[in-house]
Amino acid sequence: MSELIHTIREKSQELLAAGRVDGILCLVRDRFDVVQPRLIFRAEEIGSIETSPKWNLAKLALQTIRQSGPSFRLAVVCRGCDERALLELAKRNQFDATRITVLGYTCSREQAESCLCVRPYPEKPLAGEKIEGVDPFADPRVSALLTGDEGKRMARWAGLLSRCIKCYGCRNACPICVCTPCKLEDDLWVERAVVPTELIPYHLIRAFHLSDTCVACGACQDACPVGIPLLTLQLLMRRRLQERYAYEAGLEADRKSPLLMDFDHASPAGFELPAWTVSSEAPHER
Amino acid sequence: MNAPERNDKKPSPRVLVFACRWCALVGADAAGRKKTELPASFRVIPVECASMVEPDSVLRALASGADGVAVMGCHLGGCRFNDANHVAVKRMEALGDLLDTVGIGRRRLLLSFGTAHEGHEFAEILGNFLQELGPLPELTPWRKTLLNLPAFR
Repeated sequence: MSELIHTIREKSQELLAAGRVDGILCLVRDRFDVVQPRLIFRAEEIGSIETSPKWNLAKLALQTIRQSGPSFRLAVVCRGCDERALLELAKRNQFDATRITVLGYTCSREQAESCLCVRPYPEKPLAGEKIEGVDPFADPRVSALLTGDEGKRMARWAGLLSRCIKCYGCRNACPICVCTPCKLEDDLWVERAVVPTELIPYHLIRAFHLSDTCVACGACQDACPVGIPLLTLQLLMRRRLQERYAYEAGLEADRKSPLLMDFDHASPAGFELPAWTVSSEAPHER
Repeated sequence: MNAPERNDKKPSPRVLVFACRWCALVGADAAGRKKTELPASFRVIPVECASMVEPDSVLRALASGADGVAVMGCHLGGCRFNDANHVAVKRMEALGDLLDTVGIGRRRLLLSFGTAHEGHEFAEILGNFLQELGPLPELTPWRKTLLNLPAFR
């Protein structure tokens, strides 16, 4: 048994025994040797907690909290991406953050490389050592889709996205996609039950709604039955958000997304027109 | 199935303009009153503020047949609704990133803040935009013609 799992089990035991949490959401190896997410309540079950395979638990945690009573406190054994997703959900008032305790563990180098993860660790890891992330833009598969001739890329993306069978798996798997009603189910925006999928409305609206909330966990991509590289769709927006506003989703609990309206702060941009807008006049004085 | 041949008389690109009624719509109005010559292939939707234009609407317009979309608002700092148009700027810029990602390109999205409130300015900006859109490839594979989808070719 690795040390990482050992630390997690010990801590879970401690929390349950002290009564600081009422349940623990984690991956559990059951008696048929199948690993799946479970909500455990008793100390006997703690011995079967697992940390792999990758399974995003943030959405399950949200559902658990919503379906339980107001005093129910939950601990979640999860990876860094889940921690960020939970923080992002709490920031958007989806649940009371004090009710969830995150027992985070770091990912290994191989795991980080398979996810192309920039931050393969939670902010406050309970177990494991923080390792440096992978730059997704250095990956040839990603850079082929994000750089190069625009026309060719447009055809390439259209080809990839037109594989879509509109199973809504990407939306359902995404820990952040929790809006009701969802625009993707509204005939005004996306025709329901029509395949092939309309590419711009379905895919780009979905992608844009996550532009400032995507924590790059890759759940959409893992859920996609036809293998569309959905995470790649978010990467450029995430990077630009970081370049322009030094903002990354899921990191700062007290900082609102720069794309949201905020009357408390002064003008976020100056009085000068950004260089990329079209103007028929010379830059004006402030 | 091959894409239909474009004939010599290529229709001028279709543009949907979201114009802030306090600024760009005044410019559009003035251009009309002066009878400025403009291609007839654009339509203007007046909005109360540029920040009311959801990026989703821009995407919907592109999907429904527009070759380009223009979002025009007031000067930054000159918005009637406090800093609302700053939000529009930031959202539209993020949308531009998404369009860049998939290769549609942010060139199809015209953003102009505070520079279209006079007739000649509106005409100039829109005229340039229409010209720029002309040589761009059609968005056909991204639209709903079933047989045009690459998977069905």
